[in-house]
Amino acid sequence: MPKSSLDLMQGTVAVLILKTLSWGAMHGYDISRSIRQRSDGALGLEDAALYQALHRLERKGWIEAEWGLSENNRRAKFYRLTEEGRKALLAEVSTWRCYVEAVSKVLEIA
Amino acid sequence: MPSRRLFRFPWRTTAQVSADVDEELQFHLDMVAQELADEGWPEEAARIEAARRFGDLETTRRVCRDLDVHKEKQMKWMKALEEVGQDLRFAFRQLAKSPGFTLIAILTLALGVGATTSIFSVVDGILLRPLPFPAPDRLVRVYPLEDGQPSAFSVLNFLDWRRQSRTIEAASLLDAGSVNLTGAGGEPERLSGAWVSPEFFSVIKAPLLAGRGFAPGEDKPGASRVVVLSEELWKRRFGGDRGLLGRTVSLDGAPYTVVGIAGRARWPSISDLWLPFELNEHRLDPRNRGAIYLAAVARLAPGTTLAAARAEARTIAARLEAQYPEKNTGYRMDMAGMQTYMVGDVRTPLFVLMGAVLFVLLIACVNVANLLLVRASGRESELAVRTALGAGRMRIVRQLLTESVVLALLGGAAGAALAVLATRTLVALAPQGTPRLREVGVDSSVLLFTLAVSLVTGIVFGLAPALRASRPDLSTALKEGVRGSKGRPAVYARSALVVLETALAVVLLAGAGLLLRSFGALVRVDPGFDAKHAIVFELSPPSPKYEEDPQLRSLANDLTERLRRLPGVVAAGASAFGQPLSRNDISFSFNVEGRPKALPGQEVSMRVAPVTPGYFRALGLRQVRGRLFTDQDRDGSTPVAILTQAAVQKFFPNDDPIGKRIILDWSHNGVKRGGEVVGIVGDFKQSTLDRDSDPQIFLPYDQAPLGALSLVVRSTADLGAVAAAARAQVHEVDPDLPVYELQTLEELVAASVAQPRFYMLLLGGFAAVALVMAAIGLYGVIAYAVSQRRQEIGVRMALGATRRGVAGMVLRQGLMLALAGAAAGLVGAFLATRGLRTLLFAVSASDPVTYTGVALMLVLVAAFAAYLPARRAARTEPQLALRGEG
Repeated sequence: MPKSSLDLMQGTVAVLILKTLSWGAMHGYDISRSIRQRSDGALGLEDAALYQALHRLERKGWIEAEWGLSENNRRAKFYRLTEEGRKALLAEVSTWRCYVEAVSKVLEIA
Repeated sequence: MPSRRLFRFPWRTTAQVSADVDEELQFHLDMVAQELADEGWPEEAARIEAARRFGDLETTRRVCRDLDVHKEKQMKWMKALEEVGQDLRFAFRQLAKSPGFTLIAILTLALGVGATTSIFSVVDGILLRPLPFPAPDRLVRVYPLEDGQPSAFSVLNFLDWRRQSRTIEAASLLDAGSVNLTGAGGEPERLSGAWVSPEFFSVIKAPLLAGRGFAPGEDKPGASRVVVLSEELWKRRFGGDRGLLGRTVSLDGAPYTVVGIAGRARWPSISDLWLPFELNEHRLDPRNRGAIYLAAVARLAPGTTLAAARAEARTIAARLEAQYPEKNTGYRMDMAGMQTYMVGDVRTPLFVLMGAVLFVLLIACVNVANLLLVRASGRESELAVRTALGAGRMRIVRQLLTESVVLALLGGAAGAALAVLATRTLVALAPQGTPRLREVGVDSSVLLFTLAVSLVTGIVFGLAPALRASRPDLSTALKEGVRGSKGRPAVYARSALVVLETALAVVLLAGAGLLLRSFGALVRVDPGFDAKHAIVFELSPPSPKYEEDPQLRSLANDLTERLRRLPGVVAAGASAFGQPLSRNDISFSFNVEGRPKALPGQEVSMRVAPVTPGYFRALGLRQVRGRLFTDQDRDGSTPVAILTQAAVQKFFPNDDPIGKRIILDWSHNGVKRGGEVVGIVGDFKQSTLDRDSDPQIFLPYDQAPLGALSLVVRSTADLGAVAAAARAQVHEVDPDLPVYELQTLEELVAASVAQPRFYMLLLGGFAAVALVMAAIGLYGVIAYAVSQRRQEIGVRMALGATRRGVAGMVLRQGLMLALAGAAAGLVGAFLATRGLRTLLFAVSASDPVTYTGVALMLVLVAAFAAYLPARRAARTEPQLALRGEG
């Protein structure tokens, strides 16, 4: 998989967003918080990158957005996985696992 | 956004997209700031910290906005495409649901579009497409005028004009004729040749396929003999052998070196080969300035206009008249664009046919529109439901238009296929001599036309029904359920359409009727000869072998004698320029002995034909007075002559021509030809049936031999056998002499009216199609009205109306429509047939017989079309109809 590090980063953000949305519709702030909490903040994902990725995924048709009300009764943009997005997530996850496996094998031998 | 697929939200503008992005990001920042405030940050510091943690806010805003704007645009397009796709799928489903309707509509349109396309392909090939030469609009025909009509040049006048003209780049003489090709491993063959100036190929500028055109000086006497062959001849006769260049071929018994092969772009299109027009001593003799027989073509100099060249030609003509007053009395010159000149004769008939075929197309459209209206009234409840569910009016119009355009395109495709066949047939049937016929065909530009016509027809016949159907009265339509409404406006619209198509059909019928009557008058014209039981053919004895009078005499006498002795032959004759219904003629001015000589410029002339004694009986001319030629009227005996009645009426109105001596301005070996009038024969049609006979004088062939021979053989035997025997006799006399244009006299007559017959048949065909379509349209409207009025008719019958009465009522309704259409059509015909005037012979464009006949015919057909539904109406069973069954 010849991917540049930027691609890898973007792909990683995408897969994280897709995975997060697989539990249900969320707005950007929730997604950000959820990723931060589950990774214990280790990933250091910047919100700027998160939002750009969200809009890129929406343009791709992997997620779709709808305006709704947040918990504190404010208008917020909720994202949700599309059928296409669900398929993409499955593919990305298995790709990711292969990658991780391969890298760890190399590291173990060393 | 799944919601957007169900209900249509208005599309967002760029500003709205931008605002949405701002709001989304602001929400995030506010939430983070809130979170920080909850952790104990002061409000202001929390807001700053939230923005810091977010990262590059401005870039994110810009990136998100750009992504969303693109997404929005893409969705708009997808939506539009999706709708078109939906419309198309729906249209195909709807059409497939009623295959009968679809088939009839497609066939009707295919007929209309196919006919229009094939006529357009002819119009395009002949009138519209430029000539296949570089800068064809710079090519002109130049000609002197005689009585305002284009006439021919003499060599000297042409050369003088060309020398003096400053408005032309190059000019060439053009003399069409024939040569006999012998040898080259085949039968002797008579070919069409064009004798041209060496400049000819610089005039047309069409590149040669191989070799070269003529070099300057190759028209001088004594120059080597050269020839350029047409590609067609080169391939047919010489197998396309490139090695032919530089070799010689035998033309009229003399060797000519082939220097070039002309490609497809050639002119005049009938030539098989080109030869230099030799400027010999005889042709440059000042006494021959009055010998006019040449055409001329020229290419305008760069930067000059046709108008300037015409003005200059007039000036030069005036100068030539002043310089040579005796030979150039009243000399005028003019020129016209080559294409205009070439297609002049067929322009009117082609425009008439194009107009006629557009009428047929319009009728086809009207019929399909009518069908659509019927269908639309059956679909009113469906459309009402869709409107009630929120479909906009434009959306429904678009849906219905998609259906009709799909229908039109299917019809157009079938029509294009039909047009390919029809155009081939048209070209095959077109009369000989139609200019540029070989350029006619269905090509990409014609197909583009078909596509355009199909789209336009789809919209034309679809728009009215679509607009009407998209405005249903919701409550009525829904209430009436599947039965559909019986709205009066629909009936009116359909009746109006039927009246329109009937009127169009009447116009076409009137046009076809006029051409039919005109053609009938033409073939009833007495040609003055007996066309039955005779064959004719042509010979052109080549000049070195048959240059001297005795050679020509013995050829004519030997041949006619042999032909006369064939079994069953009643008479055989030969003539030069004596063939009836022919384009070849020769005229000479003359004086009558004992009358004062005509002043220069006031000479009178008549047609001249040297003929053998058997000619009159063989052709079947009427002997009016005096005697015919005999074998005693030979070379050396007293010169004699025979006049036709037209000549007597024109030149001897008050005195008896018999015994008078007529001297022609036809010098031969220093002697002027002519003779003492010994007889008078009846007139005959020399050029065409619709032209009056010209005054004509006959001389005995023996006393005035001429190097062109037409033969006539009258026989009681089978003409096919006679033709074969005649060919064999010519072969025995001279195996190198090709026989051409061998046909029966009846075929000759038929060929002379081929052009009007062709136009009559075409227009007649269109009119017949129009009539049938109008009848179907009428039938459709009446039948539909009857089916809608079943209950009403049931009530009438229950209340005592007789079956006869009901049938009469329906029939009357049909006839009223037909009469309205006929009346409108006759007015239209009166206006439209003016365009036909120049095509008519012996019939006025407002011929009452034709108009009455057409009106009667239409009423009869309409009565028949209305009769079938009337009979059905009369068979209505009141009980069933009232219960809404059966």
